[in-house]
Amino acid sequence: MIMAIIRKELIQLRRDPRLIGLIVVMPLVLLILFGVALKLEPQNVRMAYFDGDTSFFTNLIKTGLWSDGYFELYSVNSKNEIIEEIRSGRAKAGLYIDQDFSAQLVENNQPHIIFFVDGTMPSLTTAMKYHSKDATDEGVTNDMYFSDAESASVVIAQDPFIMDTHILFNPDEKETWFFLPGVIGVLIMQIALILTGITVVREREKKTLEKILVTPLSKTAFILGKLIPYVVIALLDFYFILGAGWMLFDLPQPSSHMLLFVLALIYVAVMISLGLFISLIAKTQQQAMFIAIFIIVPSILLSGFIFPLEAIPESVRTISNIIPFTYFVEIIRGLLIKHTLFQDLLNSYLALSGFFVVFVIASIFKFQRTL
Amino acid sequence: MIRCTHLTKKFKQKVAVDNISLDIGSGIIFGLLGPNAAGKTTLIRLLSGILKNDSGDISINGMQVNDAKSDYGYVAQHFGQYEELSVWENVKFYASLYNVTDELHLMSLLERYSLTEFKKHRAGTLSGGYQRRLALVCALAHNPAVLFLDEPTAGIDPVTRKLLWDDFYQLSTEGKTLFVTTHYMEEAQRCHQLAFISSGKIVAQSSPETIKQALGNVNVFTSRVSYLPEIHQALKKLKGMILVNQFGNECRMVVEPELTLSMLQKTMTSITGDVVNVQPSEPNIEDVFIALTQKTPVIKRSLRAS
Repeated sequence: MIMAIIRKELIQLRRDPRLIGLIVVMPLVLLILFGVALKLEPQNVRMAYFDGDTSFFTNLIKTGLWSDGYFELYSVNSKNEIIEEIRSGRAKAGLYIDQDFSAQLVENNQPHIIFFVDGTMPSLTTAMKYHSKDATDEGVTNDMYFSDAESASVVIAQDPFIMDTHILFNPDEKETWFFLPGVIGVLIMQIALILTGITVVREREKKTLEKILVTPLSKTAFILGKLIPYVVIALLDFYFILGAGWMLFDLPQPSSHMLLFVLALIYVAVMISLGLFISLIAKTQQQAMFIAIFIIVPSILLSGFIFPLEAIPESVRTISNIIPFTYFVEIIRGLLIKHTLFQDLLNSYLALSGFFVVFVIASIFKFQRTL
Repeated sequence: MIRCTHLTKKFKQKVAVDNISLDIGSGIIFGLLGPNAAGKTTLIRLLSGILKNDSGDISINGMQVNDAKSDYGYVAQHFGQYEELSVWENVKFYASLYNVTDELHLMSLLERYSLTEFKKHRAGTLSGGYQRRLALVCALAHNPAVLFLDEPTAGIDPVTRKLLWDDFYQLSTEGKTLFVTTHYMEEAQRCHQLAFISSGKIVAQSSPETIKQALGNVNVFTSRVSYLPEIHQALKKLKGMILVNQFGNECRMVVEPELTLSMLQKTMTSITGDVVNVQPSEPNIEDVFIALTQKTPVIKRSLRAS
């Protein structure tokens, strides 16, 4: 009797070619993708620097940081600009060298330089701090020891300069500050895709869609009618989860509640419209669930939510760019933790809005007035 | 009211509806009869705009289907209402899709179909018969001129079936056109016009009375006799035998005039050993249906002649 059930299940599976495709292709694609993409050690982490001294010695420091390919340095005009570059997300680290660095160095006054590091992603922060030691390597500092003529025999034991590390935005390197904003996005993504992923396909399976098709209801009215209630529900859910995060985990307040609301609205609209599109292309609820998982897993891993985007090879970064969650993570961390300026988040807002437009148009296009 | 010309629909290589033309006037109950997979549901779905036709034209009330959606209602073969919604919520939902807000009208429909007491019940908890009534109420909420009913009484008890058919008559007297697909011969008999569909083609179309004549010059006999394979074998071998159909204890035979009552009686008696009573009968829709679906030579001849 058990064999009969097993056989029946296998026959049913075999006769659902789309599902077979998802079962076989999805793990393979994800395996290859993650095999290529997931690296814990980033490369070319962007570092903004201000070198007020521009001397042989400061070049030694910059070369030390640049030489192993971990940091990609570019110059800015002030200390504040370094901080703003990191706040905007254009840089993850910064280096500030004062104009009298050489003078202090030759006087053996142990000048200070400042290494700024973005604290929003603790794993990246730790890695950056580790690699910042390249600036104080023996190979760099060997040429920075000086003795005056009167005491030529004195060996100076102290380090020639001191590097102060300033962790920005999350000075205590709280893991919860890093994870929770992204977790909110993941939860909303799951709720939205599962809520709406089955909404049309269920109507098709239960044959209620047939009855809808004979009515004068327009395609746009059908799509919007399906979207709006779920957007409201998911939006309420967003604030419910965020409120719990504020109360239970002391999440920081956003730089702007209005911008946070706009983000929440656009993000849930994107996810609901994506769920609706899934529901339109799936033939069964099972297929819809598989497609949703196929989207959720790479979204978590390739969006910069857990692994830094800097660790993802350029070839795979394109995929990160077409994942809506990538922009959500950037914006919500910007609003809650870094208090990034709106103009620096504008492109991400526009990208998210673009996804919404694309998914809605695709859904309207995909929804046929006939079976 | 309902008109289609040269309507064709293919699913891959299979022609489901093959060059069908119909012209159905108002106040008519039009029955579409055919065996399984003959194309009944495909045709009704094409006419109601659920499926897109490959070629041909469809008009309802003189308008293209997409422009005439407010002029017709549709009751699907399966339930098709929202099980989680109450009876009243279902009715209001479908009414609102046609901008119908007159609650008195909707209430009167519930009353007409004895659904008032179930108004607050979830649709999924209703019995099959009441679910059908609800489907009908939803389809009538916007008071359409045309009603498409895809096997509306399938799986319904005889009493409810009769009630529904009484109502169909009432609707037709109110001027509504009803397009009904059915398997039931007694229902087919009640239609004002009837069409037989087989392999996607309309093979006969007329009033039930005229349809019966499609068998041509034949005689029909019945006999109360239990099923015996030997009797059937022997009857089938008789020259002039067109159809032998056993239903329960009744054996029904459609024969050419050359085959007489006494010859049938003699054949059957020789096998049973007892005297078998054979009586003349009138051709009915079922005889035509079986003959049409089995494509017997006589029906082909008759159809060619007509």
